[in-house]
Order: sequence, then structure tokens, then C-alpha cells
Amino acid sequence: MLISTILSEEKPALVAIPVTIAAFAIAPSTLPESIGISLITVLMYTILALSWTMFSGPTGYISLATAGLFGVGVYTTAFLRDSLPLEAVVLLGGAAAFVVALTIGLLTLRIKGVYFILFTFGVAALMRTSVQWWETHINGTVGRHVTAATNETVYLLLLIIFAATLVAAFLLRHASPGLALLGIGENEDAAEHVGVNVTRLKVLTFAASSVLMGMTGAVMATRFRYIDPSIAFNPLISFLPVLMAILGGVSKLYGPMIGAAILVALQEFLITEYPYVYLLIFGLTLVVVVLWLPGGLVELAQKGYFRLKIQWIKLRMRLTRFRRTRQAKRR
Amino acid sequence: MRMLEVRGVSHRFGGLIAVDDASFEVGQGEIVGLIGPNGAGKTTLFNLISGALRVQDGSIRFKEEDITELRPDQISRRGLARTFQTSKLFDGMTVFDNVRLALIYGNPERRFKYEEAEREVNQLIATMGILSDRNKPVRELPLASRRYLEIARALATDAEMLLLDEAMAGLTTAELQQVMQRITQLRDRGVTILIIEHVMEAILGVCDRIIVFHFGQKIAEGVPADIAADPTVRSVYLGDDT
Repeated sequence: MLISTILSEEKPALVAIPVTIAAFAIAPSTLPESIGISLITVLMYTILALSWTMFSGPTGYISLATAGLFGVGVYTTAFLRDSLPLEAVVLLGGAAAFVVALTIGLLTLRIKGVYFILFTFGVAALMRTSVQWWETHINGTVGRHVTAATNETVYLLLLIIFAATLVAAFLLRHASPGLALLGIGENEDAAEHVGVNVTRLKVLTFAASSVLMGMTGAVMATRFRYIDPSIAFNPLISFLPVLMAILGGVSKLYGPMIGAAILVALQEFLITEYPYVYLLIFGLTLVVVVLWLPGGLVELAQKGYFRLKIQWIKLRMRLTRFRRTRQAKRR
Repeated sequence: MRMLEVRGVSHRFGGLIAVDDASFEVGQGEIVGLIGPNGAGKTTLFNLISGALRVQDGSIRFKEEDITELRPDQISRRGLARTFQTSKLFDGMTVFDNVRLALIYGNPERRFKYEEAEREVNQLIATMGILSDRNKPVRELPLASRRYLEIARALATDAEMLLLDEAMAGLTTAELQQVMQRITQLRDRGVTILIIEHVMEAILGVCDRIIVFHFGQKIAEGVPADIAADPTVRSVYLGDDT
């Protein structure tokens, strides 16, 4: 039944989703190698931005814990890479992130708004310093070497996680929990009073989307080759997905994806061309987006399309009027 | 049958006693009015019954079940729904989705799937006379339609009893007549109603029984005619000192 409704209402998405996945699948072999390398980064941030949007998009709870959950995945690989097959390690990375996210979720139950943002940011920072302390004081090391995997393996694993993320995010939007999450974002009290167990739904959605972040971290560890807490729990990994999602717009699934592609491209360009001011320009982009593009590029495009349409109608009306007057004159 | 039973319920905010040892009952199919000046504790009482506030003292039973310790979502799923004084609608969503959400989550035993709810939602919003607003975002609705939507959404939870918190505030006389008529129709379909209202002509016309609160305490209870004639009620509420 769900399938049939989606078939009737969401035809474009049913084409767009497989096409997007297929495009990412053939991209490395068709694009020049220099671009092909940054595709891994694009894919990583696309997954992070999309999975971040699954929970934070509808509810408006801005989480900055992404780096923490990603880092849990990274360290899962660092510990288990040489004793288990990579696929199993990646799944375990997701499971570990799920458990950590459940804990964060249960701790933040009653926290809202800016307090939630600060708390999640603090949790990620706390995880980073805790791991740092543990590694230096207990294990007597700063970082760890991780046995590398080939670019192809990394890309394939990320592609599978990306496909899972895209399908999961799409299904969530077209099912009751997605509607309830929107309700929580609109008015949490009201959602609770019409029978939504808001606590359970929030915590479970947050934890489920964290699985994808943890798995992504687990895969990326094999590409980093050397990791330490400042790489695994890099705060930029918390900020960038939020910025990407806001830049692209959270109202459509392709919003965060477009945002991720644009910002990764911008980042690569700035790092190579202006390495010293890159973060400065990046910060300015954030300010501009938040101030002038609150609905993201998606909304901008929709508004632009709407205006064009109006202009087009006006133009046609003027043309008909012009023809009529000309005809009248002839008579 | 007894639908709602409030026994010795009290609630304080710091040093202020908002509700002081309140006890009353509402029978099945009754329309009971709750009146009193501002600050009498009426809305606090609604918040206690619906689970938005934790009950500090006393007990509340719904359909003979103790619901004192339950959360709002659990209470709503048991068939006791409410509306809000300052409307708490899902403003960015359509009228349809507002009701659909309540329909799916209000009573999970009916097992409405996301895509199956259409007929029921249409019926509910038609009952409240807002079918033509079906696909409008709620923030575009005029006040009267918002009030109707609040009631439709509460009903959608498969409610057997409604707590209406000033469902008629700010409406014109014509709209008032209409809301009163629809509330009576709901009762005729078996829904029990407890209603807070300031519009006296509405409350006297529509209620079977009226309970009067003043400074958190119940000061009178009876049929509308008696309440309207009661000297204490007149002095504290109707502002008549003759």
C-alpha cells in the first residue's frame, strides 16, 4: 500500500533516487581522476548532511554531536580493523554510534532550543577530550595507524551507506513517524497531546540516523590511515553537515545533497587556492546563508521559478493585449 | 457511567495555590461547564487532567482507570483529548496533516496507516465545517476555522471525552451560535465534554451542568439556571453585587 501511494504521489523521487545512486556509482570511472578523488569527500558529507537532516530537519533540534558519532565509528575501526573483516567493522561502528546516540538522547530529553545545540556540541567535545585522555594516560599513545583500504573499497562502502541513507530518509518522509517528527517541530506539546510518544520518537530517530554517521566514520578511518582524537572528532564534522543542509534547504531531500556538493567543491578550491583565508571565507558563507537564505537554495529556486512563471504570464497577457489593439486598429 | 472523576486534586506553583482540593465528576454524555474569573485555576486543572502538569496531590480517574501518573500521550490514547486556550496547532502543516497526525497516533489500536487515513480525515473536517480548507497551511486560517480545527484534531484521536479550553473566545455572535450547535451535535454522538468558557450566553445555553471555581476552589456546582441565580457566583464572577 505504501508503495502504491508513493508510486502515485512521488513519481519524480522514484526516478531521482535510483538515478542519483547510479550517477554516484559510475562517476569515478567517467570523471577525471582529480575530481574522482574528492568524490569520496562529497559522498561522506552527503551522507552526514542527509542523516543529520533526518532528525534535525523536521524537528528543528539542531544537533552538533555529529563529530562525536562519526568519531565513535572512526575509533571502532582503529581498534578492530586488523581483527575483523571491514564490512563487519563498519556495522559495528554503526552499532557503537547507536548506543552512544541513545545515551545522548536520554540525557537531552528535556533540553530544547539553544541549550540542546550547546549540549550536543559539548558532548562531542567531551568525547574528544575523554578519548584523548584515555589514549595518552592509559594506552600511552597519541594517535593510531589504521590499515588502509583501497579507494575503490572506500567508495563502494560509502556508496552503499549513501543508498541506505537516501532510501531511509525518503521512507521516513512518507510514513507516520516522519509526520509526527514534523509535528514535534511545529508544536511539541500539541504532538504529545494527540498521542505521540515524543520522547521515544525523538531518541529513536536520533539514534537511528546516528548509525549512518558511525558507519561513515568507520569507513573513513581506513582512508585517513592515521587517526587521533582531533581528526576523528574534528568539530568541523559537526558544523559542515549543518551548514550544507541549511545552504541546500531541508525541505527537500536533494537540498542537503546539493549543499554538500557545493561546499565540498568550495572547500577544495579554497584550500588549494587560498589556504590561509579558507576558514574565513567559509565562515562568511555561513553568515550569508543564515541571514539571506533561511530556506536554502531549494526555496530560492522555488521562488525564482515562481517569479519567472509570473513574468511569463504577464508577458503573454501583454502580447495578447497588443495583438487585440492592433486588430482593432485595422478594423 | 462516570467518565471523569477528579478527587482532592491540588496544585501549587511555588507559594501560589492554583488548584485547591478540587473534586468533581463528569458523567458520560454530559456537557459540563467550568467557569470562574481569570486565575481561578481552570486551565491548570485542564493541564493536570490531560497530563501536561504532574498532579501533586489527589487523584484523577478516566473511565474508572487511574490516570493520575500518566503522560499526555498516554492519556490521549485512552480517549481523553483537549484543545488549547491559545491554539497549539501545527501551523506549518496543512489542515489535512494536522488531523491525520492525530488520527494515526491518537488510537494506535485502529491501526491507521499513513496513506489510509484520507476518508476519516475528510469526514472529521467536514463535521467541523472546514472541508474547503483541507489543503491550506494552518497559518492561513481565520480564527474561527482554527478553533474548529482544534476540535477536529482532538476528535481525531478517537476521543470519547473532550476538554475544550475557551473554544469560543474571540468569535463573532454568528460563529458562536455555530460552535455551540456543533458542540451539542458532538454530545448527541456520545462525546462527553468539559468546557472552559467566558462567554456566558454560550455556557448557559449549551451546558447540562456548571462548576464554578474561584481562587482554585470549587465554590458552586449546579444546573445553569441555579448557577445564574446563585448570589455567591454572581458576586465573584458575574460582577453583580445586588
